[in-house]
Amino acid sequence: MNGKRPWWKTALGVVLTLIMLFPVYWMINVSLTPTTEMRKSPPNLFPVHATFEGYQAVISQQLPYLGTSLLIGLGTVVLTVALAAPAAYSLAKLRPRGRGALNFVLLIAQMIPGIIMAMGFYAIYLNLGILNTVWGLVIADSTLAVPFGVLIFSAFMSGIPEELMSAAKIDGAGTWRTFRSIVLPVSRNSIVTVSLFAFLWAWSDFIFSSTLNAGGTFQTITLGIYKYIGNNNQEWNAIMATAVVASIPAAVLLVIAQKYVAAGVTAGAVKD
Amino acid sequence: MIARKRARLIGAAVLAAAVIGGVTACSGSGSGSGSSSSAGGTYTFWDPYPQFDASADWTKLVEQCGTDAGVTVKRTGYDTSDLTNKALLAGQQGSSPDLLLVDNPVVSTLADAGILTTTAENKLDTSDIQKNILAAGVLDGKTYGVPIGANTLALYYNKAVLSAAGVDVSTIKDWNSLTAALAKVKAAGKKGITFSAIGTEEGSFQFLPWFWGSGADLTQLDSDKAVQALSLWTDWVKQGYAPNSVINNTQTTSWQEFATGDFAFGENGTWQLGNVKKAGIDYGILSIPGLDGGSAPAPTGGEFMTIPVQKDTARYATSKKIAECLTSTENFVKTDTTLSYIAPTSAAQKQQVAANPELQPWVDAVAAAKGRTSDNLGTKYPKISQQLWGAVQNALSGSQTPEAALKAAQSAAAAATK
Amino acid sequence: MTTIQTAPHGSVGDDGGVALAATPPRARRRGRSGQWAAWAFLAPVVIYLVVFYAYPLYRNIELSVRDYTVRSFVQGDAPFVGLDNYVKVFQSPTFGPAFLHTALFTIISIVFQFAIGMVLAVFFHQNFRLSATLRALFLVPWLLPLIVSASTWSWMLNSDSGVVNAALEAFGLPGINWLTSPDWALTSVIIANIWIGIPFNLVILYSGLQNIPTDLYEAAALDGANGWQKFWRITFPLLKPVSAITLLLGLIYTLKVFDIIWIMTRGGPGTASTTFATWSYQLGFASTLPDFSPAAAVGNVLIVIALIFGIIYIRTQRKQDIA
Repeated sequence: MNGKRPWWKTALGVVLTLIMLFPVYWMINVSLTPTTEMRKSPPNLFPVHATFEGYQAVISQQLPYLGTSLLIGLGTVVLTVALAAPAAYSLAKLRPRGRGALNFVLLIAQMIPGIIMAMGFYAIYLNLGILNTVWGLVIADSTLAVPFGVLIFSAFMSGIPEELMSAAKIDGAGTWRTFRSIVLPVSRNSIVTVSLFAFLWAWSDFIFSSTLNAGGTFQTITLGIYKYIGNNNQEWNAIMATAVVASIPAAVLLVIAQKYVAAGVTAGAVKD
Repeated sequence: MIARKRARLIGAAVLAAAVIGGVTACSGSGSGSGSSSSAGGTYTFWDPYPQFDASADWTKLVEQCGTDAGVTVKRTGYDTSDLTNKALLAGQQGSSPDLLLVDNPVVSTLADAGILTTTAENKLDTSDIQKNILAAGVLDGKTYGVPIGANTLALYYNKAVLSAAGVDVSTIKDWNSLTAALAKVKAAGKKGITFSAIGTEEGSFQFLPWFWGSGADLTQLDSDKAVQALSLWTDWVKQGYAPNSVINNTQTTSWQEFATGDFAFGENGTWQLGNVKKAGIDYGILSIPGLDGGSAPAPTGGEFMTIPVQKDTARYATSKKIAECLTSTENFVKTDTTLSYIAPTSAAQKQQVAANPELQPWVDAVAAAKGRTSDNLGTKYPKISQQLWGAVQNALSGSQTPEAALKAAQSAAAAATK
Repeated sequence: MTTIQTAPHGSVGDDGGVALAATPPRARRRGRSGQWAAWAFLAPVVIYLVVFYAYPLYRNIELSVRDYTVRSFVQGDAPFVGLDNYVKVFQSPTFGPAFLHTALFTIISIVFQFAIGMVLAVFFHQNFRLSATLRALFLVPWLLPLIVSASTWSWMLNSDSGVVNAALEAFGLPGINWLTSPDWALTSVIIANIWIGIPFNLVILYSGLQNIPTDLYEAAALDGANGWQKFWRITFPLLKPVSAITLLLGLIYTLKVFDIIWIMTRGGPGTASTTFATWSYQLGFASTLPDFSPAAAVGNVLIVIALIFGIIYIRTQRKQDIA
């Protein structure tokens, strides 16, 4: 690549980003709009009569929900990586018989619509006694990410050169040791990628929260939004404000993680 | 080698066991299924008011009624469209809540599923309740619940917009005069009427006063009268008296349109009474006119308190106490003032009107209202309603004429309710 | 599993030719204990799959081959009716429109999401100032709960109070009834879906781009290739495995999309934007009298369609692996 950094590329990038983020701007606009102007025609491009009542409601009421969502998101990440990484290692490196069938099953697993999963889980959870618990929700949310995680990890791990694996074996390392000390550190980028996907999917999940944890003491932010959706009335500025506030932690995580994500999915192990 | 292999196997098995074990062990924060019969005990209460959290007056009232009955009540609010399925799922798994508050057209569905107790079983007294409000909870002559309050639809109108257009509200007696008024409003540069015609039960709810007001019957969706009713709405949209957005409006979005102050009329319900003052509109209430005059029967809204079937029938006695506490006259007034509903007994209504005389037209409207599942429609109503809102959608969006849309709807409804 | 390696590394065998060749006894022992180890690592996921995927799927199939009323759903004694529910579904007047809309929605969404994602990935790969930050910002739509993104698009596309129509009218064009016209409803939900799907495609394709060694581009530049040729001769072919998996996953996820359409148009007006996913929901959850069996049948039809594409993908991959 040449050393020149044409500014027009940056300008074009900014324009494209602005177009892409316009709906997000609109969301912020609505979050500051008083109820009487919600359906004004034509709508205000800027929140001229800005009201902060939505944000006030959110700050005073939604923070516990944000905390729960954060906890569940992180829990989902841990569970997803713990389940998917070893399985992918096996599929990519240990060549078990029947791995083709397993790959196919993992593909099918992602095809089942969420509502069907949720209804099935309800019965399972009730019988296992984990309905309305944070743990139960972590497991349910992980079903969104585990098959995908296995896919990404195994794609990445199959790119790890055999020299590394053989070197470890020569040094007397068993399969588990190889996995723990060689494969995992080298897969750092794909771990971050899978973690990001798992976190984001758990963060914005609604169907599982609603079916499996609606009665629990700790509820997620997606359910917290429903506080503003009464049976006959909806406070849209509060709903949008909740979304804005809920996006902030996820956005922070995104910016931190994107450096790793960039190289994460399929990068070879040798270059870092 | 062998030891290592075994160690690996054990490691994997331990991991698997840990997952499942951790899952069962950490079931701490409440299973909420209320099946324990310990002394005192916890009773579960489900309602469709997720807007009320732990600090709301409603929650405190429910918990107080529980304490008065000697038990702890754990209340959960769900989104109303979810509650039917949640109740069915819970019933299937044998973990129904002790008390369940549901939207009135759902009562016949749950009763049909066999998960609700009748007043014969739970010994609730419904003699004070106004018959037309109670009707939604009656299936095959058995009563399955008590209404917690009722609401219905009427036309809110904006006095400023009407006077600017030179319309005298007292001249609006029937459909022709209403349409004429809308024409005048449009000529004066404002917008005519807004309502909700969305493809869900809300759309049917809003269309029913016009449907019934023409004299049509839900068992015959393609009668001439029904076509007249649908043509009224279709013509309004065509001529611009009603905005195109009605096709996608919920009652809330329709209300938001009215709240901008640009509309002369907004068809909405009792529960908006608090909001109309917030919107700062100088408003009036008009009952929805019938085709040839008089007031059209509007559908009843509002939730019913029901007591689901439990394995341990001894729980009904306490559930009944809690239900009675919530449906005492004093508590009717408290609850229905919070929800902006009308109480279902005349004693409570008198207190409400005494405290707030603006409620009188609503009390009259509720007295004239009709349950959607009454006329012995029961579980046929949801099937018919689905076809009705589909027909409304097709006619308003122009993909079918009102006649064709209703004809198709009737044949589908007849087939579905055979 | 597709081995995603770049051309210089590309080799069919495991060893790079550097490690010692395995001696027969070691290979045999490695074979058997290798299988044990392999399945031990897989055991948690297999159990997980059986408990959490097989059971809901079984429940759903069971719902679809019996005739469930709300009563039998609760009490549990529904009669077995074989494929009757599927016949009912195929003969329903909604089937044709739902099928057509599902096909259009999925294909158009994927094509545009992929193309735009690819263009953006290539664009951001050029490392101009702020490219990393802008790329991260592009992922923001992903963070929003679907109810919020879908509602925001609803608001923007509202016939009377929406900003899109306000902009059109400011330019003298007539406003369009985006969500309430049978001609435009499907287009509107497709646009919203494309917007939501771009981040996913961007992330995966960008990572794939990272994997292509820059020396290839330098060599091509030396040979006098311009940007377009570089893309078609180097980038695109080397991205094939990543593209294939992106398209397949995109297809599976798009087939399942329901929230966006439901919140924006409820599948309406009428059936103008009904897809299998929304139809299944409508049957089972959107009326006060749920109809579980047909809903489950429609859900299974959806899974079968996804399955067909999955099989096509695996077949293509196998052919490529052999070649």
